[in-house]
Amino acid sequence: MTRERVLYLMGGISAIWLVRNLYVMLLALPDEVEQGAIYRILFFHVPSWFTCFTGFFLAAVASGLYLKTKNSLWDTLAVASVEVGVAFTLVGLATGSIWARIIWGIWWTWDARLTWALITCLVYMGYLMLRGAFDDPTSRAKNAAVLCIFAFTSVVITFKAIDWWRTQHPGAVLSIRTGGGRIDPAMEQMIYQNWPALMLLAAVLVAIRMRQETMQRELEALRRRTHAF
Amino acid sequence: MDQRNFLYMFYGFAAAWAILALYVLTLVARERRLRSQIQTLQRMLEEKEQNK
Amino acid sequence: MKLLREVCVVAGKDLRSEFRTKECLNAALSFAIVILVLFSFAVDPSSEQIREMSGGLLWLAFAFAGALILNQSFARELPNDCLDALVASPVSAAALFLGKAAANWLLLMIVELVCLPVFGVLYNMSWLGQWPLLLLVFLLASWGVTVIGTMFSALTVNLRLRELMLPTLIYPMMIPALMAAMQLTTVLIATSGVPPEDWIWVRLLVGFDIIFTSLAIALAEVVLLG
Repeated sequence: MTRERVLYLMGGISAIWLVRNLYVMLLALPDEVEQGAIYRILFFHVPSWFTCFTGFFLAAVASGLYLKTKNSLWDTLAVASVEVGVAFTLVGLATGSIWARIIWGIWWTWDARLTWALITCLVYMGYLMLRGAFDDPTSRAKNAAVLCIFAFTSVVITFKAIDWWRTQHPGAVLSIRTGGGRIDPAMEQMIYQNWPALMLLAAVLVAIRMRQETMQRELEALRRRTHAF
Repeated sequence: MDQRNFLYMFYGFAAAWAILALYVLTLVARERRLRSQIQTLQRMLEEKEQNK
Repeated sequence: MKLLREVCVVAGKDLRSEFRTKECLNAALSFAIVILVLFSFAVDPSSEQIREMSGGLLWLAFAFAGALILNQSFARELPNDCLDALVASPVSAAALFLGKAAANWLLLMIVELVCLPVFGVLYNMSWLGQWPLLLLVFLLASWGVTVIGTMFSALTVNLRLRELMLPTLIYPMMIPALMAAMQLTTVLIATSGVPPEDWIWVRLLVGFDIIFTSLAIALAEVVLLG
């Protein structure tokens, strides 16, 4: 039960942190000069993309380790982080779309960053779909792992799209990539505050999803035993 | 304009939380389904073992 | 050298069995041409506008036709457990994979090279202006498409829903190659020369081919031998 308690603790910390962040971003930070209130969506948009990229990276590494060790734990980690990653991808797409409605006047535009983000979303949904099509857990894990490694290339392209193409999507603003000056330090600070809070939430979700995947395996083993009679 | 700007900021926040809440709900539903299925199967196994 | 010979043997086997029946090739060719004809109803075929979407039209047709070829690539080996026999043969997994990819590549190139003149005639378009570059784009993009496709064909070969699963998985993965191919083909057909800002697409295409070929070779053993 200690594991359960750790998860509750992590979830609690993340919830408190997120509420505190909401308070700061809504009441302490001023409106942005050009964009007005809407810029605050950035505080969810950017961290949720970082969170899903981290999840997909973790999934690719876990898939590689699965293929090397054939330990089903890695496969469990891969599927859990992809699924949570897809949830955060959807958050990123939705928040970006709502921001664009105000700033650009449209919900969606086919520029490189947006297109690749959508492709990434589709590729990882395909990963989840492929898993559902296999009955045998071993070949499911193996083939899904291979797909997961291939899929990560689209994450890399999405991340670098703003450097490779001239996009309507804003270019890099964080000072680790631009050397500073593109964003107000207090606002940048807020992004770095909200990211770990969301990561903590994502970690809890991944842990829950991993336990479910283990249960799923148990269930499949039980099914085979009942059929064996 | 300002009104709309503020409203859409609220929509953005709501969308982010709604998607995450929806995902948590699917997790809860799956947990419940898995547990009940495992229980059913275990009961079936026990019955079969007794009848043997 | 040994690898190259093995690749040729596997590719030769695939091509020989394909040319005996011509099942896939005929299906893919007629499918691609049907799509090209269907497009004439979707857009006004006589307008100047069609020139600007020529790359998109062609590559959509090739991508759809390609899926038919790729579907059969490994499925062909299923009856009589031929795949197991292939895997058990002394040919290395990488050679087996590359051989199959090479055979698919050649088949796809045949479909493309037949469709291109048909497209030119149907839509009253001259495409010979920069044919060496166009050929290069076709070779590179088709290789990218077949490498991804052959890999995923191997991944999905044992599934019941194989025919559905393969296109849903490969099209999103192929988008980089398809996007680059569409862009470059349009530029090469509609204008004279590649403007400097479009060279990014050539780089993308080459990068795509290199990355996915090396990934596929590295993972071929896992996928085919388990």
